[in-house]
Amino acid sequence: MSTPDNLVEAKNLSVKYGSKHAVDDVSFTIPKGRVVGLLGHNGAGKSTLMKAMVGLAMPTLGAGGRLTVLGLQPRSQREQMLQGACYIPDVAILPRWARVQDVITLMSGLHPQFSAERARALLKRTSVRLTDKVKTLSKGMVVQAHLALIAAIDARLMILDEPTLGLDVISRKAFYELLVDEWCDGERSVLISTHQVEEIESLLSDVLMLNEGKLVLNISLEDMDRRFVALSHDAAVADRMQAAHPLLRYRSAPSLGGQRGDSTTVFDGTPPDELLKLGQRVRPSLVDLFVALTRKPELDRQHF
Amino acid sequence: MKTYLTLMQREWLQHRFGWTLLAVVPLGLTLLLLSVGQIQMSSVELGEVDQVGAGVLTSITMLVTSLAMFVIAVVTSLFLMSGLARRDHQDRSVEFWMSLPTGHSPSLAAPLVVHLLVVPAAALVIGLLGGWLVSLVLVTRLLSFEAWASVPWGLVWSAALAGLARVLAGLPLAFLWVLPLVLATVLCNAYFKRWAVPVLALSLSLLGLSLYWLYGQPVVSELLRDVLVNALAALVTAQENPPLPVDGNPLSVLAMIPAWAWADWRLAFTALWTPLFAGCLLSAAALFALLVDWRRRGAGAGG
Repeated sequence: MSTPDNLVEAKNLSVKYGSKHAVDDVSFTIPKGRVVGLLGHNGAGKSTLMKAMVGLAMPTLGAGGRLTVLGLQPRSQREQMLQGACYIPDVAILPRWARVQDVITLMSGLHPQFSAERARALLKRTSVRLTDKVKTLSKGMVVQAHLALIAAIDARLMILDEPTLGLDVISRKAFYELLVDEWCDGERSVLISTHQVEEIESLLSDVLMLNEGKLVLNISLEDMDRRFVALSHDAAVADRMQAAHPLLRYRSAPSLGGQRGDSTTVFDGTPPDELLKLGQRVRPSLVDLFVALTRKPELDRQHF
Repeated sequence: MKTYLTLMQREWLQHRFGWTLLAVVPLGLTLLLLSVGQIQMSSVELGEVDQVGAGVLTSITMLVTSLAMFVIAVVTSLFLMSGLARRDHQDRSVEFWMSLPTGHSPSLAAPLVVHLLVVPAAALVIGLLGGWLVSLVLVTRLLSFEAWASVPWGLVWSAALAGLARVLAGLPLAFLWVLPLVLATVLCNAYFKRWAVPVLALSLSLLGLSLYWLYGQPVVSELLRDVLVNALAALVTAQENPPLPVDGNPLSVLAMIPAWAWADWRLAFTALWTPLFAGCLLSAAALFALLVDWRRRGAGAGG
């Protein structure tokens, strides 16, 4: 099996549940060595998209459409594909009857790329013992155990569906540390969906943003900085900013360095020079873009 | 092969505690009760026991114990397997199993083989050994330890092992006979969850009634009866005339068991070459294919 530079290629991909398009005509690629954030509101289609990528949901391919993961069809070549990709669909899905050692034993027999030795070494970094039963572990410990097991698979692609949901901040930090330290080596790619957009921004190299099944943004973070312009300005010039049809405008919180009453306006592309002079350029955050592209841009809101 | 063995190992890891209890508790209770309990028998009954002798009593004890353990194992396994399709849904671990590169067919076949073949076979062996221990306590209590020690063990064990071999050899045949019923239950569980058995029972009843009204023949009930009878006959007593004592000596039956067991199994094997068995195999294959397809489409795991 030859490994392409694009680990995932999706073109005109849809997934339907009855008459509802959970994923609606999306196209994207995921090259190797990338950490891709899949963002979207509840029901946007993130989990469905991930399930289609691992062969658990039936895709509908438009004219000329295709979906390949590691060069393979996820549905018809599922077993082959899963030897090179690993997937955590949810944090709490390890079999509750098993001890951690049992799961290692079973994964050793069921996954040809799994290393029991590496799994035990990774688990030593956590508070999880091999003799612990899964049902006795806290949610954070189950996440750490599951990630340690998945990271012990010598795979090219890791797909994580909201792995930190419901975890406290310490568990989330430990999770990201393990992910960055043990997995991201420049050759492997991670696709991670999360609601904690601001927390994960520093880890990401690329972003895919879904809104009601449609892909509204597919961009690297480098390009994002070049494409989107955020201006911090006095509230008095808000109307002039508004006239330029920004993506989003909101009032800045004083704790972020702004004065009470200051606003921030986000533009897609460089605004006219006269507007640039009215404010100070700041880096648009992923949260800002997430709100802008998945909600009506005219709504004023408090920055968080 | 490694995948199958690992999936079978999964069954052991998941159910070892329950299986150990099923093996130890009935035998342990029996041994305990026989050891310390009171065995109330009249002098006539005691005389009959004395007449029958330690050899026959030992043989019957071993037979009953192994049969009891076998029935417990089969009932438990059938109960567990009826929920095979949805057993990993409650803790959502089905998504974990589906995220591993294992085929759908081995994932479904391995537990069926373990629970419907390996576990009953193990129960038979454990029952036979446990029955030997039970016979020690029972014969000692009713007669004497010397009576138990003087049992013709060569005769008893050759008959016991022949009988065990007969049932073990018949187990795969019985498995194939009942497989369509088991798979139909599993498939109903896949789609109807806890309503599987009522839905299946209702469907078969309605089908049977409809065919009876149309053709005047109880087709469904006769088919089910024939399948179950053949499944039982695959295990034991395919022949109509079992071995009988010669010259009033009950132990003479033991000497006939090995030859009878071989002839009996050949008869059970011959019964496979019938349209009914072919229909069972085809039905089982179709139902298994439907189950694999259900699992391939996401196994109802919120996909």
